[in-house]
Amino acid sequence: MSTRRRWIVRLPRLYAKKRGHRRTGSHEWGVVGDGLFHATLLVAGLCFGGLLLSGVAAPEWRINHEFRESTCTILAKGLAKTTIADPPATVITNWRPCLLVRYSVNGVVHESWSQGPTATNTADREVALGRLSAWTLGAETVCWYDPAFPQTVVLQRGYSWWLWLLSLLLPGALVLIGGTGLVRVLRAWGKSEEHRAASAGISEMLDPLSQPALAAPGYPAVPVCDDLVNSPGTVLRYRLPIESPESWTLVGFGLFALLWNAVVVVLSVGAGLDLLGGRIDWWLFALLVPFLGVGIGGIVLFIRSLVFATAVGPTQLEISDHPLLPGGRYDVLLAQGGTGTFRTLTLTLELEEQATFRQGTDTRTEQLVVWRQTVASFADVGAAPDSRFESRAVIDVPKDAMHSFTSAHNAVRWRLVVRGTPERWPELCRTFPVVVFPLGVEVPGASPRQPLVDTEIPPQEASP
Amino acid sequence: MARMVSNPFSTRHTRPGSILSRDPTGMPIDVASLLDRLDALGGSAAIVGPHGSGKSTLLMHLAAALARRGESVQRVRLHSWVDAPTVWMAIRRARPGDIVCIDSWECSGHLIGSLLRAEARMTRRRLLVTSHRGVGFPELVRCTTSPALLRSIVEGLPGHGFWFGKLVHRADIDQAFVNHGGNLRESLYELYDRFEAAKSPFSDVRRDGPIDHAGHAGVHHEIHEFTDGFSSVGAPERNLG
Amino acid sequence: MTVSIDRGPLKPKVEVQFDRPYRHHEPRDQLAVRYRIEGCDGEHIRAIEHSVLWYTEGKGEEDLGVHFFQRVTDRTMLPPTATAGAFSTPLPQSPLSYEGVIVKVRWCVRVRLFFDGSRDFVSEHVFDVGHVPPARMLSSGA
Repeated sequence: MSTRRRWIVRLPRLYAKKRGHRRTGSHEWGVVGDGLFHATLLVAGLCFGGLLLSGVAAPEWRINHEFRESTCTILAKGLAKTTIADPPATVITNWRPCLLVRYSVNGVVHESWSQGPTATNTADREVALGRLSAWTLGAETVCWYDPAFPQTVVLQRGYSWWLWLLSLLLPGALVLIGGTGLVRVLRAWGKSEEHRAASAGISEMLDPLSQPALAAPGYPAVPVCDDLVNSPGTVLRYRLPIESPESWTLVGFGLFALLWNAVVVVLSVGAGLDLLGGRIDWWLFALLVPFLGVGIGGIVLFIRSLVFATAVGPTQLEISDHPLLPGGRYDVLLAQGGTGTFRTLTLTLELEEQATFRQGTDTRTEQLVVWRQTVASFADVGAAPDSRFESRAVIDVPKDAMHSFTSAHNAVRWRLVVRGTPERWPELCRTFPVVVFPLGVEVPGASPRQPLVDTEIPPQEASP
Repeated sequence: MARMVSNPFSTRHTRPGSILSRDPTGMPIDVASLLDRLDALGGSAAIVGPHGSGKSTLLMHLAAALARRGESVQRVRLHSWVDAPTVWMAIRRARPGDIVCIDSWECSGHLIGSLLRAEARMTRRRLLVTSHRGVGFPELVRCTTSPALLRSIVEGLPGHGFWFGKLVHRADIDQAFVNHGGNLRESLYELYDRFEAAKSPFSDVRRDGPIDHAGHAGVHHEIHEFTDGFSSVGAPERNLG
Repeated sequence: MTVSIDRGPLKPKVEVQFDRPYRHHEPRDQLAVRYRIEGCDGEHIRAIEHSVLWYTEGKGEEDLGVHFFQRVTDRTMLPPTATAGAFSTPLPQSPLSYEGVIVKVRWCVRVRLFFDGSRDFVSEHVFDVGHVPPARMLSSGA
């Protein structure tokens, strides 16, 4: 059985995940460049946000806070038309209902067309006309005018919150990315490698993309296991979460099929409407054919993955305690559902190393299992239709085992792996990560456990 | 407790800048003559070669040599066109006549690369780049590899006198070169694996339990420690001298 | 951009002594280190940094975690006035030294000397924490 896997990830051109050293060579100029880049993002975000606020939020705020109330008479109804060219051959027309009103400001009579909120714009002329029907000619109603420019008058006030949110989303992202990057650069400026690493604290929080998994408090480089102990078991204390590529594959296929076919539906509707209108957009039809093919393929893949997942059934693993300690003995409960039969089913405890390294423009991750122990092995396993296969076993963690370790590019991970060979289906492999803490420490919140095996320290060897 | 020997093929010993730049015959590259050629070409040029042929290493050594002779040098590494703004800023920050060393120039793409090059030309900054293929710059040197080059690289790794011929043999080096089509980086990774497999006394025994310490009695190897490491400006963090 | 000026060969040397035999420590032990600086006659050292850290070695990018850091700028504690120094720190509970196959975890102390002209010299000395035996590559039948 192959124990080494190499994954070559070719980074997409539109996104590059940067880890570790960003530059080789001149650190100072690299830092300056980094700082200037983030400063540019920060300034761009502030400017963009300022422009949007002044163009959208500021007028709305003025209307709601500075405009003065008055009474007006509706003299006429109208539709304001806005035409936008939409290449290659179409135009988009927007209609905004507006009213001609007469009102008095300090004894001066004004007649103006009202300014409506952006939300009243519509591309459908009939809808715009329908909105006008709510108003009656000759009726008197409340209005608000701009004291600085009395000709400006509105008949409705309020806030379009969604527009505010959308307007601030992109500038907010630019400010966040630029600001955190700039703070990180300034904190690291002029410091040696050890000094930078020693003072990393806020910097780590500000750059989540470069962080390894969170370390358990008080145990540097040991990963937290909170996510592994938040699910109680039905028989034993904890139910371990599964880390299996097939579940992600299923979700991935499902999302892909959903999103892709949504696009196909939109394109199809557009093509159909054009066809009904007597127009044929050949480019659209040419695009639709391959899109449809890919969409059907996505659905087929998703259904196949779903059938596999349901036919083989879920695998559950419960454990008597967690995190684990070297020399500790733990009960595990293996439960396998599904309607088929497994020719073989094995549970193993493994130690895996993972190293990530750059190769030119590629990032490679290599994984290697360096220790494996078979915990339980079964043959010809079959579940009854209304029950599942269950079996208990015991795990003995070696007394001199390395604890779980994680850093930005390297990891040492423990895991329980269930491998099975179902009838008529491909082999399955389901992984349940566990965390092993260093020996000799009290794990916070842990329950009293069985006494650990005494650790034998080998005698010191004579020096050469 | 016995300490194990440091794998000389680990990334800390083989990353760009940690290895001396050598030509295909294995001899150290005459950096001074390359700099003269760079001047003759007008100051901007490209180091061309396939994956894992030592371009980045040579670029680092040329940059260090330029800095030693008093020139102002900036270095940037491209991973994708997203890094283009950093290159642009490095060009803008440099003074006229300065040189900007850019690794993996082809990542900038044709359009952005042309714009950056035009910017450098207009502002009289020089560019020294690495690339897998011709990118319109005059070619300073074309990096090629050979088994002799790989052998000479291996000779320069720490502890060579101790482990060569015992844990890694010449045949292993030549085989790694053939297996990876001359890619030195991949070859060094394979030699890493061979070294690890060879130094394990129980590599052919299936183990289900803890490792027996008794098997290491009498084995004492020193981990290579950096006690002569000058971290000068422009040099890698851990310079072996 | 700072350019270094070559003033001739400089060969500093930092000798480090640990207070434990074979440089072996247990987690939460007190690590005590003494060092002596030689070969810096005539050179001005403007600062010395002491650090105790772990780093990874192997096939991946190197990571490091600094456990103890101290920067000394007091002239009375720098050469030529003082050519020796010491520092001490309790070691943490993790990570333990680990001799893996593609990932190794090592502990070391570093003494970094900062000279005038932006040059610095680093001396690194490895020690062990814990008793984790070396890992092995599994045979193909495993």
